[in-house]
Amino acid sequence: MDETRLVPFVAFRNFLVRNFSVFQYLEGTKEVLLQVLIDSLIYSSELALLAIGVTMVYGALRFPNFAHVEFATLGAYLAFVLSAGLGAPLYVALLIAAVMVGVVGVGIDLAVFRKLRQTSPILLMIASFGIGIALREAIRAIWGTSPVFYPLPLQRPLQLWGDMSATPVQIAIILLAAVCVYGFHLLLNRTKLGIAMRSLADNPNLAEASGINTERIIRSVWLIGAGMAGLGGVMIGLDTQVHPNMGFAIIIPVFCAAILGGIGNPYGAMLGALVVAFAQNVGLAIDWAPLASILGWSGEGGLYIPTGYKAAIPFGLLILCLLLRPQGLMGDPNR
Amino acid sequence: MIEFLIYLLTMIGIWGILSLSLHIQYGMTGLINLGHVVFFMLGAYVSTILVMLVGAPFIVGLAGGMIVAALVAVVMALPTANLREDYWAICTLAFAEMVRLFFLNQPLKGDYMGASFGVSGIPQPLSALFSDYGYNLFYMVLVLVCLLAAFGFVLWLARQPFGRALKAIREGDEVPLTLGKAVGSYRIRAMALAGLLGGAAGSLFAHYNAFISPNYFLPLETFLVWAMIILGGAGNPLGALAGTVIIQLLYNSTRFMKAFVPLDASMLGSLRMVFIGVLIVVVILYLPQGLFPEKKRSYARTRAKASAD
Repeated sequence: MDETRLVPFVAFRNFLVRNFSVFQYLEGTKEVLLQVLIDSLIYSSELALLAIGVTMVYGALRFPNFAHVEFATLGAYLAFVLSAGLGAPLYVALLIAAVMVGVVGVGIDLAVFRKLRQTSPILLMIASFGIGIALREAIRAIWGTSPVFYPLPLQRPLQLWGDMSATPVQIAIILLAAVCVYGFHLLLNRTKLGIAMRSLADNPNLAEASGINTERIIRSVWLIGAGMAGLGGVMIGLDTQVHPNMGFAIIIPVFCAAILGGIGNPYGAMLGALVVAFAQNVGLAIDWAPLASILGWSGEGGLYIPTGYKAAIPFGLLILCLLLRPQGLMGDPNR
Repeated sequence: MIEFLIYLLTMIGIWGILSLSLHIQYGMTGLINLGHVVFFMLGAYVSTILVMLVGAPFIVGLAGGMIVAALVAVVMALPTANLREDYWAICTLAFAEMVRLFFLNQPLKGDYMGASFGVSGIPQPLSALFSDYGYNLFYMVLVLVCLLAAFGFVLWLARQPFGRALKAIREGDEVPLTLGKAVGSYRIRAMALAGLLGGAAGSLFAHYNAFISPNYFLPLETFLVWAMIILGGAGNPLGALAGTVIIQLLYNSTRFMKAFVPLDASMLGSLRMVFIGVLIVVVILYLPQGLFPEKKRSYARTRAKASAD
């Protein structure tokens, strides 16, 4: 870009930094915050793909499916078998794994949840907890406890902008999630199936009365929801490692994202995933000392949230959200 | 063999108290506490801290564990008492993990006590008076006496007006609200009572096992207690105990299966959890009342009506 065109912006920035301590502070932490931006985008991509499924199943069947995060683990392992074991290219393995997990989701619905449509959500919740344990322990029994890795060449970080860097795989994760979310948006708004899904979440009785085959729509919800969770699991595996506990480890951020956005609302789940991921990474990266000094504590040498307490951030958000805005950020207050 | 039986009965006793605690929450009040293990964890840790770091006798540790668990139960319930059941369930799950995170990160004394190292060498009460074998027998009796006391307490509670109000809340908020019952306050008090029992179980466990670490208090343990309640029959304290016996037998059966099944221990450990998970789903599908359904109280009029039909 032409340097001279940036002059007014640079002057404006310098003005802000000189005159407002907040911007002085931001200027000092710019390098860190840019890296946080990339990390949060990756994390929110993974969370969004899981939270959308949680929220869709909730919208259609009105219970939180605690087994949903295990679909991610299953997808990650299936893709591992297909790529490392059978030698399929990773992008093919990833798609086949997602479809297989989707089919497993439909199968579980037909075998268990379909028979419990008329019972209280309490029993559905406990049944989903039981299915989750059975799935996770079955995965542990088959593939063992030690983590496995996808056959990837050594990743060289790309310099993006200043000191901000990301590996090609990380960029692929963000792009893939963006494609999925956009595709899902088109599905919801442009297809008959998507409109039927939305009407089912809105009012199941009315949907059935208008001639929508609700059982068929519920099957599609499971197929898409579980499939996306499987894809999310592969992403987590690509980003870090594949191990039996990888799904259950993020159950709290996933549910937090779904509730934060207003449970039952897929767009809310996407927003919730962004909020949770950014809150977690920014909360860890920020030096809280200036804030502490305002309150009268001395924050000599920086005051950071210990990384061991990382998981406490989504929980804190969850409690705040439930206290202040139980219908979620994008939820309808009348429901 | 007899030593294993003593171990098994001790474990059944400890977990029996834990499942009675969940019985108060779910069986009587209808609260879905997916973070039930937090009471167990607090009882174990607080009792350990009181006995090892403060130097208090066991009985003070036990009481302290119970009280702290009850207080935390109230803290847990206060902001969330009026939430819908699904939100409440997610909150409790997150809360228990948060407390576990705290004990996982917090060293208790020096660098190697507490945090991820756990606490070892927890003193066993009155251990100087007994031989090893006699001590285990003594502890089993102690645990079973506690279980009996807890069982008596739960039975007594169910006959109180307070217990009846809890059961009314379980069936839905509308009726107790109409009768002027403060539903939220009842839920908080039910949680506190459950916290007392759960804390007692935790303290008994810590002093029996002599070692605790955050890995003993994973969400998996909560699920095992749920399995006991669902299998035995929600709402019936005898069912809760029956469920405890069955699940503990299943859980400890891998010890004997090793001799017959040519699989390694960690795989067997996973397979038994798969079995318990599937068992719960099957019970919910085909036997939603559990093995020992709650007895509905019959009144003269309904009984006459039933015999007339």
